[in-house]
Amino acid sequence: MITLTIDNQTVEVSEGSTILQAARKLGIEIPTLCFSEGFKPSVSCMVCVVRVAGVKHLVPACGTRVADNMAVITHSEEIQAARQTAIELLLSEHIGDCVGPCMRGCPANMNIPVMIRQIVSGQFEDAIATVKKDIPFPAILGRVCPAPCEKVCRRNQADSAVSICLLKRFVADIDLRSEKSYRPVCQPSIGKKVAIIGAGPCGLSAAYYLQQAGIDCTVYDDHEKPGGALRYSEIDRAILPLEVLENEINQIFRLKVKFQGNIRLGRDVSIDELEKQNDAIFIALGTFNENNKDFPEIVAKDNKIQVDRPLYSTSREGVFAGGVCIGSRNICIRAVADGKEAADSIRSCILGQKVQEKKEYNHQMGRLKPEEMELFLKQASDSERIYPQSVIEGLTATEAQAEAKRCLHCDCRKADGCKLRDLATDQEARRNVWPGQRKLFSQITAHEQVVFEPGKCIKCGLCIQAAKIAGEALGLSFEGRGFNMQIVVPLEKTLVEGLRNASTECVRVCPTGAFSFKC
Amino acid sequence: MDTVDLDTIEQIVERIGRDACHALPLLQAVQAHYGYLPTEAIESLCELTDCEPSQLWSIATFYDQFRLKPAGRHLIRVCIGTACHVKGAGQIFEAFKRHLHISEGEDTDAQRLFTVEKVACLGCCMLAPAVQIDDVIYGYLTHETIPQVLQDFLEQQKQAATVSGIRKPEKVLQGQARICLDSSCRAVGSDKVYDALEKAAAQMHLPVKIKNTSCHGMSFLAPLVEVVMADGKIFRYGNTAPTDAASILRRHFQSASAGARIKSGIDQFMHTLLDDRIGEGPIRYSLSVRDHSIDAYLNKQVHIATEHAAEIDPLDIAEYQKKGGFETLRQCLMDRTPESILEELENSGLRGRGGGGYPTHLKWFAVHKVQAPQKYIICNGDEGDPGAFMDRMLMESYPYRILEGMAIAAWTVGATEGYLYIRAEYPLALARIRQAIKNCRRLGLLGEHILGMDFSLDLHVYTGAGAFVCGEETSLIKSIEGKRPAPRLRPPYPTQHGLNGAPTLVNNVETFVSVPWVLRMGADNFAGHGTAGSKGTKVFALAGKICRGGLVEVPMGMTIRQIVEEIGGGIENDKQLKAVQIGGPSGGCVPASMADTKIDYESLHTAGAIMGSGGMVVLDETDCMVDIARYFLEFTQQQSCGRCTFCRVGTKRMLEILERLCEGQGCAGDIEKLQQIGTQIQNNSICGLGKTAPNPVLSTIEHFREEYQAHIDGTCPAGRCRSLIHYSITDECIGCTICAQHCPADAIAMKPYEKHIIDQQTCIRCGTCKTVCPAGAVEVK
Repeated sequence: MITLTIDNQTVEVSEGSTILQAARKLGIEIPTLCFSEGFKPSVSCMVCVVRVAGVKHLVPACGTRVADNMAVITHSEEIQAARQTAIELLLSEHIGDCVGPCMRGCPANMNIPVMIRQIVSGQFEDAIATVKKDIPFPAILGRVCPAPCEKVCRRNQADSAVSICLLKRFVADIDLRSEKSYRPVCQPSIGKKVAIIGAGPCGLSAAYYLQQAGIDCTVYDDHEKPGGALRYSEIDRAILPLEVLENEINQIFRLKVKFQGNIRLGRDVSIDELEKQNDAIFIALGTFNENNKDFPEIVAKDNKIQVDRPLYSTSREGVFAGGVCIGSRNICIRAVADGKEAADSIRSCILGQKVQEKKEYNHQMGRLKPEEMELFLKQASDSERIYPQSVIEGLTATEAQAEAKRCLHCDCRKADGCKLRDLATDQEARRNVWPGQRKLFSQITAHEQVVFEPGKCIKCGLCIQAAKIAGEALGLSFEGRGFNMQIVVPLEKTLVEGLRNASTECVRVCPTGAFSFKC
Repeated sequence: MDTVDLDTIEQIVERIGRDACHALPLLQAVQAHYGYLPTEAIESLCELTDCEPSQLWSIATFYDQFRLKPAGRHLIRVCIGTACHVKGAGQIFEAFKRHLHISEGEDTDAQRLFTVEKVACLGCCMLAPAVQIDDVIYGYLTHETIPQVLQDFLEQQKQAATVSGIRKPEKVLQGQARICLDSSCRAVGSDKVYDALEKAAAQMHLPVKIKNTSCHGMSFLAPLVEVVMADGKIFRYGNTAPTDAASILRRHFQSASAGARIKSGIDQFMHTLLDDRIGEGPIRYSLSVRDHSIDAYLNKQVHIATEHAAEIDPLDIAEYQKKGGFETLRQCLMDRTPESILEELENSGLRGRGGGGYPTHLKWFAVHKVQAPQKYIICNGDEGDPGAFMDRMLMESYPYRILEGMAIAAWTVGATEGYLYIRAEYPLALARIRQAIKNCRRLGLLGEHILGMDFSLDLHVYTGAGAFVCGEETSLIKSIEGKRPAPRLRPPYPTQHGLNGAPTLVNNVETFVSVPWVLRMGADNFAGHGTAGSKGTKVFALAGKICRGGLVEVPMGMTIRQIVEEIGGGIENDKQLKAVQIGGPSGGCVPASMADTKIDYESLHTAGAIMGSGGMVVLDETDCMVDIARYFLEFTQQQSCGRCTFCRVGTKRMLEILERLCEGQGCAGDIEKLQQIGTQIQNNSICGLGKTAPNPVLSTIEHFREEYQAHIDGTCPAGRCRSLIHYSITDECIGCTICAQHCPADAIAMKPYEKHIIDQQTCIRCGTCKTVCPAGAVEVK
């Protein structure tokens, strides 16, 4: 047995163990990227570097064996800087977007590419779940949204954007018509209450997500019925029929959200009263009026409620605000996004949790080069944008699927299982710190199950090991060396020949989106 | 191209072996046969051997030597080593491509006669710029001599079949004419001089032995003919040509027969007359022993590793033995214990000469103390540093001393099998070592029961395939094991876990060469040279902007100034010393202001350089330090195995910044960025290549920061970076049209008796016009 100290804690491990194993035994977290349990350490990413007393350089914990009386430090400014640089260097040669531009462009961050893939494969029920995770009113928005997502769609660069908004509406309309329409799972009530003032898209959105978290919501509005501007402003009912509006709003009240109409804050109820009865208050007033007399301390000179942006919290404890009244852009999707984000903040506040303040890292490759565009277009339908026969009816299933096939799938299929992205977020990595040569995006899609995107590879070689363990006759191999090194199927063979049975394992073990499942 | 036939591959496999560890030699054999590696051939190898596709593919694409596409009939390898770089190798490369009409992105001419490639270093630094065409090396190239070089090469090819006449040996010899036939001396024509000497001696029936000797190190005089008379008098002739052979021999020797004597006497008389009237060519001159430059060059040196320089025939084993060769091995085997040898080494203070400077006795002891059924010994002759050629010369000149040193080491540590890992770029070293091993086996100096004792040692030669990283010991071992040679994390060190997992002693060529001397002459004798921490001598490859370049062996503690001025004769062309680059891509630049730095491990480290393996490139005021830093980083970046992030991506990003600086596109903060990432690369790479790669950049920033700043501000003070300079013709122009005739890019219109003008758009900034202008009318800004 070997005795050593890690961060001044003594630990005993068997001879031949690595520093990483010893640290894990102590419950000390050392970030890793190219390391995978059960595989030979590739010792390549250098994210797990630590300092060993008496050694001139930092050493990788995954591959360094322990020795008696070794003294290891796992966290310091120097180590932190090295880890961050390692990740930033890896990102500097990373080619691809974590999420598609459409998703980044959508104020509600809806996962549009996933919805589209689900439409293509006919999984409409899954598609509505994807949509409703971020947007409670897709049928409404499918009719009134100015679709910022489509403005940034990469397909614009070739011909015209994918008809995202109508695809979302297509999914939502099927759901609304169905007898078993989508109903999110609600946590059992945790005995907390939130008063929401304003039953427009922002307030209703907040209610929808808070109620799912087990928090009981009551929505107050000075109008008789919920809907806010969607119901009471001049909207062409041919475009947004009342029936659609009511049906979709009803979906929210199915979750046991309470509504009290004809109640005006400052006239019928005071903020002090609401505070006494509730654990939090969310002000989601669209247009602002004399009501603000009731809480002057949180209103700024421009007649907007002042909030701490990512948290939507006002200077008054327990009072939150969102939507147009805080100066958000006056479009429905923004209001919906505010409501959703505020709900998250309110929930964390009520539960006494810290709100995740770190912004998720998003890699972006910018405008595509013509040859990259060509590559993406090869994977998509070459038809022109499909417009519905009737604007009132929207897209038919055939049309929707044909349109969905126009998507370039320029997002990363493994955005949620990517260790590199998680680490980039954790280590607060910055984009473009090391600008330099960017190779062309490339993609191998001939395999039935998996897609290989070499530009996302960190050259750890875990997939090579996986293929070898699986007994592949050809398998995978390093090719070349240095900056130009890459993983290939040897002898210029195809991925299908290289991975006859190890493809699933390659996706599992790949720490990035280089290997991902096709859908 | 030829289709791959299974028979050929089968024969190769039959000859080399089926084990997966033979991957590299198998691929080398296939490439030797086809001129490249056809994919089908690699596939056949997978079927016929234990090698796996991923293994062979990763190796085939790792080494520079391998090609996956057919090449032209002859391979032109333009050396881009440091010395060649500072003397315009980049332009030579471009000039070859221009001359052969090879377009951008291509490497082979339309007739598929020549393929042009860059090669890391040919180890012929004093002949810079140099190229190797197949197995022939040409030195001192200019873009204008390229057509002659190609013509000469093709003519030589035709003549290759004709065998020159063999002369019967004379009975009574009046003396010897010695000439070194090392690859660098050959490159300036020493082989032709040798042939001419043989021919002249035969024709004139002169009683003289024409002898091929170990290298004298005086590359600046090569081809150097040394005439040694029976009475011991020595006459030296430098920079000789084949046409000089007859006159040199006639000066000192008389033919045996009376008739011949008369004839040669008349010839000699006539020749003297001609000599007097015409004089000799400007670069050929005879030297007497008292010639100042040779005196200075030789007298300051101490020959330990290069003992008997220019005296012995490298492959004449009897001569080596006559001078005490293998006597030390005999004594060790018969009279000494391993412990006493280790003690002697410890007392001598010998440290590894490969660069790290790790005490030799400690390394030996580490292997010695381990109990293991099998131990190995490896001689690291993978000298890949651009600007270094010590190991090549040692291997070409003293093969027996290396083998003796290895045998002593093997016996001391208990190894019974060993390898000499030698670069493929050194064909002569490979041939001589192979021959030397054969000769030793024949005489029972290697093999079973060496010298009749209970000690056996089997030595093999392993040919590298063009990867600088293989000089790193864990990488070298993987290369021999037939694996992709990406270095691994140490510890465990090879002394515990080396070749095939067995304890392995890896030492550099120069270390092994020194061992017999240390044991024969005694530790005190060795430790009598040098400084407190660095004992003995060190061999350097002195090259660059120096009057007398070559191989020098100096006692530790000599100053850089002494080497440059006293041994090297100062800077050529009356320029000023700017810096000395020591230690190659892992080293740094010592500025002229610090020229009194002593050559020892500690002082060099303090000055921001390292001893390294011994490359010493002298730079003058026309060398741009940013360009030098960029040059070295380009090298290491290309040689990185790609394993760890900092080396793979970090060096690339550093290089990009340096490239921007050289192109005048630097921006504020670039210097700090280089320092930041440079330090992190040093700190977070797993092998020596990555750990030292930023050194040339960091050391030049330290000593020449203002030059970096100047590049950010848009000027190159040395007038070197092409994007930051332009050539123009001043009013001094005499209208002689020479510049226009020589301009390779046709950027100067020929206007007799008028002032010439350089078209800036067409100008490739090669500097030819400035070189050829007789009126000094070309200026660079």
